[in-house]
Amino acid sequence: MITLTNIWKRFGEKQVHQGVNLEVRDHETLVILGRSGGGKSVLLKMIIGLLKPDSGSIAVDGKEVTTLSYKQLQRLRFKFGFLFQGAALFDSMTVGQNIELALRRHSDFKDADIEERVKYALELVKLKNVEHLMPSNISGGMKKRVGLARAIALTPKYMLYDEPTTGLDVETADGINLLINELKTTLGVTSIVVTHDIHSAFVIGDRFAIFENGQFIMTGTKDDIRNSPNPEVRKYIESEIET
Amino acid sequence: MTDPTNHPSLAERIAGLFHRPGRSILTFFEHLGRYMSTIGWMLYNFRNAKEYSGNIMQQMVMIGNNSIPIVLFVSMFVGMVTSVQSSYQLYDWIPRSVVGALVTKSVLLELTPLLTALVLAGKVGATITAELGTMRVTEQIDALEALAFDPVSFLITPRVLAGILMFPVLVIFGDLVAILGGMFGASAIAGIPVEAFVDGMQSSFETWDAFFGIIKGTVFGFIITSVSCYQGFQVQGGSEGVGKATMNSVVVTCLSVVVMDFVLASVLL
Repeated sequence: MITLTNIWKRFGEKQVHQGVNLEVRDHETLVILGRSGGGKSVLLKMIIGLLKPDSGSIAVDGKEVTTLSYKQLQRLRFKFGFLFQGAALFDSMTVGQNIELALRRHSDFKDADIEERVKYALELVKLKNVEHLMPSNISGGMKKRVGLARAIALTPKYMLYDEPTTGLDVETADGINLLINELKTTLGVTSIVVTHDIHSAFVIGDRFAIFENGQFIMTGTKDDIRNSPNPEVRKYIESEIET
Repeated sequence: MTDPTNHPSLAERIAGLFHRPGRSILTFFEHLGRYMSTIGWMLYNFRNAKEYSGNIMQQMVMIGNNSIPIVLFVSMFVGMVTSVQSSYQLYDWIPRSVVGALVTKSVLLELTPLLTALVLAGKVGATITAELGTMRVTEQIDALEALAFDPVSFLITPRVLAGILMFPVLVIFGDLVAILGGMFGASAIAGIPVEAFVDGMQSSFETWDAFFGIIKGTVFGFIITSVSCYQGFQVQGGSEGVGKATMNSVVVTCLSVVVMDFVLASVLL
């Protein structure tokens, strides 16, 4: 379980988070909805300790992230897979090397086992025979899939998705949504998805949290969101109807 | 009518005069502190360097092997121009073998290490900053951390180690070619016999001179790679940020190299 309690974060003059509270339950997919540039991605980065809140508490399986030593933080990161917005593939490495990097560094697997796991991870994201390709030679949708394969290579307990469908056409975005759902059932991961795409959110999410002006203004199920009278929440529902 | 409250008071004007330089000084020390902290972290984790030996070899090729042509080209012309200008300045005044001595001393002590460093500040330094800066803005460095890698050990240490190891080698190659270039310039352009040039070279040669140049190469290699890596890690924003950091990197490394050149000469000679 992941718990965020009273998180405050400021970048320069901008107060991005103003007492954020959130609870992510085991095996659920929680979707964080909010406008671009509002600080949703920062929340994901704070959960795995890439950024530190100015104040507040972040607990992962009961362990306080903000007070962990560097080594403890690295060990905690084994529990997480992170799909970055632009996939963040290492462009000097092939697709295969991207996926096997963490396996070679953090596991005792032999070369043959690593090769097997790379293939398995690629199969899970519906890709075949792409190990030798460079990231610059594959499409945006494929990059996201490879990013996903890299994130799940170490079989994480938690998956963090930062705008997984942004910049993709509808068909490719639907493919990614399908994959997120499949990974949930296949690997049983707990997921946090940050997005401003309401259509994708309703396809993949179990629960939803609406982030506005540095706080969560509402948390609930699809029906709770759809029936909410809050005008800020209604904006999202109306944008779903428009699409 | 003009609002009198819009006019700053004398105290505000005086404070305004100090605002910009004060801010610049603070920014300088802020960067110096962060740079020292990064270097400290790199040294603290040096014991992990062998885990990244593949990266170190890759960087040695990138920094060393790939820079050989430009270093040799520059060194050749530096040697030739030094010899031609020396013979022009000393013509008829003193024995012609002095040109050989002058070229050798200048090349070993100053010209090859300094010019190699300045050329590589542009080539190697700019490449490192642009590469790491792009990795920063495309979240590749964050991705490394998310995969439980230490980005300093993975990205900075191999580049700095490769710089420390390969810059002196490039200086040695540069020294040899510059002296050969000097010999060619002296004989072909200034009409000084090769024997006279070699006589002057032998009579003035001291091992320490060559060794001093190699020490300079090592120090310059460290400065150029570490500063460029730091600049790359600090990039903010998009491609504009990468461009700005790359320019800063070249300017800061060049200035640091000339200052350190003076410090080393003052301390070691």
